[in-house]
Amino acid sequence: MITGKIFNIQRYSIDDGPGIRTTVFLKGCPLRCKWCSNPESQNAWPEIVHRDSFCHRCGTCITACPEKAIVLGDKGIEIDRHLCTNCGRCAEVCPYNALEMVGQEMLVDDVLSEVRRDAEYYRVSGGGVTASGGEPLSQADFVAELFARCGEEGIHTCLDTSGYASPGAFKKVLAYTNIVFFDIKHTDPERHEEMTKHQNGVILDNLQIVVKSGVDVIIRIPVLSGLNSTVEEMADTAKLIRDSGLNKVHLLPYHKYGVGKYEMLDREYPLEDLVPPAPEELEAIVRMMNKYSLDCEVRI
Amino acid sequence: MITHEQIEAVKKLRVLTERLQNLKEKWEKAQPTVCVEPSQLFTKAWQEAEGDPIDVRWAKAYALRLEEQPIAIRDGELVVGSFTSQPKGVYVIAALAPYRVLDMLGKFQIERRLSATSTATIDERDAELLREDAQYWVDYMPPDYIGKALREELGEDHFELMQDRALVFEGPFLKAERQSAFQDMLSAWTGSPHPRVNVINTGLKRIQELAEAEMEDIMDKGVRLSHKSSDAYRKYVFLKAMVLTCKALITFAERHAELARKIAEKETDSSRREELLQIAECCEWVPANPPRNFREALQSLRFMHMALRMEQPGRPENAMGRVDLILYPYYIRDLQEGKITRQEAAELLGCFWLKTAEIETLETIAEWFAPGALLPNCTICGRDKDGKDVSNEISLLVLEVLRQLKIAEPGVYIRYHDGMNPEFIRYALECNRDYGGGNPAFVNDGLGTDRFLDRGVAMEDAVDWCTSGCLGYHADCADHEFGVAHLNLTKIFELTLHNGIDPKTGRQLGLQTGDPATFTALEELYDAFFKQLDYFTEKLRADYFIRRSIDLEHSPQSALVGILHFEDAIRTGLLPQRGGSKYPALFSMEWVGDRGVTDVSDSLAAIKQLVFDEKQVTMAELIEALNADWDGREELRQKCLQAPKYGNDDDYADSIFVHVWNKTQEILQKRPDPFTGLKPFTFKGAAAGHIIHGRAVGATPNGRMAYTPINDGATSPMPGMDVNGPTANINSANKVSVRELRGATHNMKLSKQVLNTAEKLDKAAVLIKTFMAGGGWHLQFNIVSSEELVEARQQPEKHRNLIVRVGGYSAYFVDLPLQLQDEIIARTMHGMA
Ligand code: SF4
Ligand code: SF4
Repeated sequence: MITGKIFNIQRYSIDDGPGIRTTVFLKGCPLRCKWCSNPESQNAWPEIVHRDSFCHRCGTCITACPEKAIVLGDKGIEIDRHLCTNCGRCAEVCPYNALEMVGQEMLVDDVLSEVRRDAEYYRVSGGGVTASGGEPLSQADFVAELFARCGEEGIHTCLDTSGYASPGAFKKVLAYTNIVFFDIKHTDPERHEEMTKHQNGVILDNLQIVVKSGVDVIIRIPVLSGLNSTVEEMADTAKLIRDSGLNKVHLLPYHKYGVGKYEMLDREYPLEDLVPPAPEELEAIVRMMNKYSLDCEVRI
Repeated sequence: MITHEQIEAVKKLRVLTERLQNLKEKWEKAQPTVCVEPSQLFTKAWQEAEGDPIDVRWAKAYALRLEEQPIAIRDGELVVGSFTSQPKGVYVIAALAPYRVLDMLGKFQIERRLSATSTATIDERDAELLREDAQYWVDYMPPDYIGKALREELGEDHFELMQDRALVFEGPFLKAERQSAFQDMLSAWTGSPHPRVNVINTGLKRIQELAEAEMEDIMDKGVRLSHKSSDAYRKYVFLKAMVLTCKALITFAERHAELARKIAEKETDSSRREELLQIAECCEWVPANPPRNFREALQSLRFMHMALRMEQPGRPENAMGRVDLILYPYYIRDLQEGKITRQEAAELLGCFWLKTAEIETLETIAEWFAPGALLPNCTICGRDKDGKDVSNEISLLVLEVLRQLKIAEPGVYIRYHDGMNPEFIRYALECNRDYGGGNPAFVNDGLGTDRFLDRGVAMEDAVDWCTSGCLGYHADCADHEFGVAHLNLTKIFELTLHNGIDPKTGRQLGLQTGDPATFTALEELYDAFFKQLDYFTEKLRADYFIRRSIDLEHSPQSALVGILHFEDAIRTGLLPQRGGSKYPALFSMEWVGDRGVTDVSDSLAAIKQLVFDEKQVTMAELIEALNADWDGREELRQKCLQAPKYGNDDDYADSIFVHVWNKTQEILQKRPDPFTGLKPFTFKGAAAGHIIHGRAVGATPNGRMAYTPINDGATSPMPGMDVNGPTANINSANKVSVRELRGATHNMKLSKQVLNTAEKLDKAAVLIKTFMAGGGWHLQFNIVSSEELVEARQQPEKHRNLIVRVGGYSAYFVDLPLQLQDEIIARTMHGMA
């Protein structure tokens, strides 16, 4: 039986594809986007997070940790990530639910039975399941199996991908996918590398695979002021989309909602100073996209 | 069916005109002020009518108020009708609640304020007069018939054990202390009437004539019903009281007309003078006659609704009825004939809406009551007997007024069905979002009708119903009983954990069902609990039967309610609760309610997991921790809080919920209604009852602290514990049937963010559709307020269910950095989040 590493299954997802959806968040991603709002999704293994707002500073976890990785600092407990083996012991003993192991191995059947619970809402709203992450294609076999089973039950499937995966992974999953949300972060390879630690060649190649497959595609562009949002940059992106024969674009304005999670993971947030784009900036991009005959909306 | 064009047109209207802004501001700034005149007039008339038959005496004590109490017309208002001279007059009748009036006055003297929720003032001299008045009624108290009978039948300490201290039973009229000479002053004997379409359309003059004709008939031909002779006389007397009351209500309107003319004479502004003359003309015509236009229909509705409120200010359930059906024919005719524009109609309706907020009572200024909650529910939309959608442009106007005026009441209830224009639902949700509170709410049109059909009501009568109270509903032709007696399930569960002994007093209150520490399986605990429940249900039923019977024997029939049911009342001489309606059984079919099903089932889930499945703690240890209110056992409380909770579509907790629900339902319905012999409806009330219930119950295994409120509502999960989102929440609720319940509220939280685009509104509409298709009754979306987010910032562990939903991202609100939390709070405050 194939298992997947899942860090969240969110029901009533209303921003991850048509209708009401259940989004399965898969853990593990090859990219390291500086603005990532799901940093707990990046590593492929289960990780311990601590939620300071729940912590009563009782110290139970400190005594329980076999690696002596936990100390009580000024800002609450701190976990030395070099010492921590993510054994999960501290989460078991914390009386206040302030520690949590993020990421668990799940069978396709288990995920499916969770997904199935909202089948009626999918039917009425035209929704379904979305695989997101992380990069879901890092676990292509699992996603393919999940989607195939959903297909058998008439549940619509949506793949939310960064585009960074092997062509084989794409082909495997596309066969069972009804719609793809495909991220384009930048057209320039160097800039892309600065932003995500990887160049974009693989992504652009994969885009062509997706286009050829004939599956519906919506391009998602994170709008990051100063990183990818100048008129020139967006014009290049628009051209790329148009030339690929696609026309639906969603702009996802940068938001800071992920910041708290970095603290929970004892990580630095790399983009302290970045601010969300102004409405005018977004409107200008939409107008520009329209010039390229692209159907573009801002998703808030 | 409502069209796109109509919605667009109504959205453009400006309800908050300068006039309304002024009126609203003045009303908001006004201090609740206690008025003494109505109370004095009641007493005076009652004394003068000594020796009259009781129905007539009651009618006279009402009529004198209508004829003489101070009235006012406020600057700029278009719809008139004032309870007192004050914009926020506190309307009290000492005769109906003398102890509480004295209590209020006592507090006033000490603190110069009446309660924590709302501060009211009273003039020194008036306070003295009111005290005198109340004292008269304390001294006047007739023999305590109910108390005597209850002690005789159910035991000397019945009250003390069941109600005052332990609150096993709770309900507005379940008090050991007599409230007044009028026994159940909270109107157990008049139900929850509302202004009916036919009453407005017929006019009081005609109703008076019909009553007079019937009186003549009785004299000429004798009573043609198979009544006993005493009933014949009672009918005659009741008709007389109706005639008296019609006249007084007409006088009340005419007094407003006179006042308007008087003010007009001195008015220098010619357009205001014109308005005042129009008001005068209007009040000279209605409610005596059938309205001739929209304005008159509104004014008539205003007078008739007021009439109820004044008759018994303590009766908190005077619904407004189906306002869109009442008003629409007048509105559309005026509109088509060019006599009124939409904008004018919106302003008029706004004026009317604000007027309904113009009253305070002992209830609204009391700490235990939801502040301001007098529940003048408006019902809109629905289907007729042929299944046709009846929503109309007034349904829209009502929603727009609600959205723009933003005052706490009235609550609007939409009779939802799948045949409605989806755009209308989207619009209603938009209003819900902008309004902020759980208003409008949605009730299941088909289910409401089916429940009556189940009980043999003909289709044309079964479809004609409106909501009332918190939140029940009733057939237009029958009303329903007010003040259902509630069983405190949480208390009964606590007693079960203590072998029937109340841990608060050490007294044996319930049966000896065994010491739970000796139980080896959950089934034993279930058994013990259901045995206790059965025992207390029987006690409550006896209590109810005795109380209600004696009450009916000693109290008057309200002629006003007779007028509102004139078709049947004139024919039979009886009100619905005495069998006067076409469907005599419908009225009292609901004698019992319960609260606390989620507390009990979540407690059982925690016990199942921690005591029986995982053996983390023994039952004895758990009970000890409960008795200590978790003192020193915080880590155990956390485990209990983290145990599976109902409302997450998780079968572990939900299956227990379903079992407790079904079995409770079975026990409550096992015994027939004592007055009709039929299977009763049950009721799981909302409003403030859960706070009162909680005061008697110690800590519970669901992690609840001692004496804090128990859970509100019927299928609503424990607050903050539904962490799987709205679909899971609804799936959980739909695992039980509410077909046999007349009231069952399902509260849900939604943030503004999930309602901020047309697409998202349509997705939320799917929640309503699925809830109703699954047999749900009453769905209310409470929009997360900025206050709540502030609280979540301070007590994050209680608000784990607040989820921030953004594409490709998921997090709990409580995980956001404080600064971001503050940003969302600020945006929520400004209606942008
Ligand atoms: S055990 Fe939990 S509550 Fe106690 S210090 Fe550790 S994280 Fe905080
Ligand atoms: S996960 Fe294990 S190693 Fe890491 S901090 Fe917790 S107890 Fe220590």
